[in-house]
Amino acid sequence: MHVYIYDDYLNKGKYQKSLNRLEIRLTDLGLNGKIIRLGGIKNIKSAIQNEIRLGAKTIIAVGNNQTVNKIIGAIIDADLYGDFQKKTLLGIIPIGEDNSIAASFGIKDAAEACNILLARRIEKIDLGLVGNHYFLNQAVIQSRGTVLEIDGYALESGEKGEVRIINLLSEREPSIKSNPHDGRLDVYIKTKKKDITCLATTRLKVANPDCRLLIDGVMEVDTPADVGIMKDRVNIIVGKDRLFE
Amino acid sequence: MKAVHLISKFHHKYMFSKDSKLEKLKDAETIIGSSIKVKGNFQGQGNIIIEGSLEGSLKTDASIYIGNQAKIVANTESKDIIINGEVRGNIKAKNYLAIGGTAKIYGDIQYGEISIEKGATINGQLLMLTEEHKRSEKIKAEEKNSAEEK
Repeated sequence: MHVYIYDDYLNKGKYQKSLNRLEIRLTDLGLNGKIIRLGGIKNIKSAIQNEIRLGAKTIIAVGNNQTVNKIIGAIIDADLYGDFQKKTLLGIIPIGEDNSIAASFGIKDAAEACNILLARRIEKIDLGLVGNHYFLNQAVIQSRGTVLEIDGYALESGEKGEVRIINLLSEREPSIKSNPHDGRLDVYIKTKKKDITCLATTRLKVANPDCRLLIDGVMEVDTPADVGIMKDRVNIIVGKDRLFE
Repeated sequence: MKAVHLISKFHHKYMFSKDSKLEKLKDAETIIGSSIKVKGNFQGQGNIIIEGSLEGSLKTDASIYIGNQAKIVANTESKDIIINGEVRGNIKAKNYLAIGGTAKIYGDIQYGEISIEKGATINGQLLMLTEEHKRSEKIKAEEKNSAEEK
């Protein structure tokens, strides 16, 4: 059984046409299933967990990065995570802005997402972790004033720029070698002086008293924050144009 | 005569040419940029490029490239090391050590083979690692690997 989780922002009128087109396409492909609209639900976690208990074979996030993160957050710590990992796949149908996670998996738009769901090409993907929050793409913070503590050493930049802690790239960047299967996070620091730093690690602590860590472009978290990675944690349906091997 | 032969061999293998840095960048698993300060024990398994500053210790099983803006206050140990910047601390290059013309070294140096470009500053003792040293290092590394595998 397919279960489609519609994010609450899709209740806006401007998305109605896209949703109608999507539902027709899914029916044509024989992929129709149960629809859950997060807008009308207070306890998102229990609603999603309940669908897995009822035997959902595929949970499909219809929305953006935040939708994907909400679903992963609802499942990953739950008692039924073992069942989810064995029996359930996660699909993504991107609608609207902030869809870098879908782009990483080679899913450009809703129409293509339907064909990708039908093809069921599956990849096991690592999951980044900041405190109690999960991320698929990256966590970002400004470089000036940020201290990274990694395996017995501390690293600090005095220049303005950006620190990126990457699990999965959202667009092709030949200068960054990132692999969401390797069980490692890639730390990439680029300052305004075009100065580049890169290294790989499995865990680190990020601290900056003046700013917060932005996860997958949608959620901000206070620092100091512990960042880690969990290897091969989620089975995701991906497109053939995904940005990793 | 033997020293001249070694230097020439090393120049072919470990370059002081303009392109040398780019070649190293491609291979490096870890790069520390010029605006970065590192404090603590910095250890890696792949090649490391340091363009910034580092205090503590620096160690890898592969190669280390120290750029001409880099300032290292640390004991440095690796298989191959190329130094163009400032290093205050002891250096151990089990295989090759290349010291560029802009390098400033304040510390003792152990090396398998060495080349020194004109203009380099060295304040410390130079000790060539003998075959016996290398053999014992190899045995230690093998023991470490087998212990890690277990």
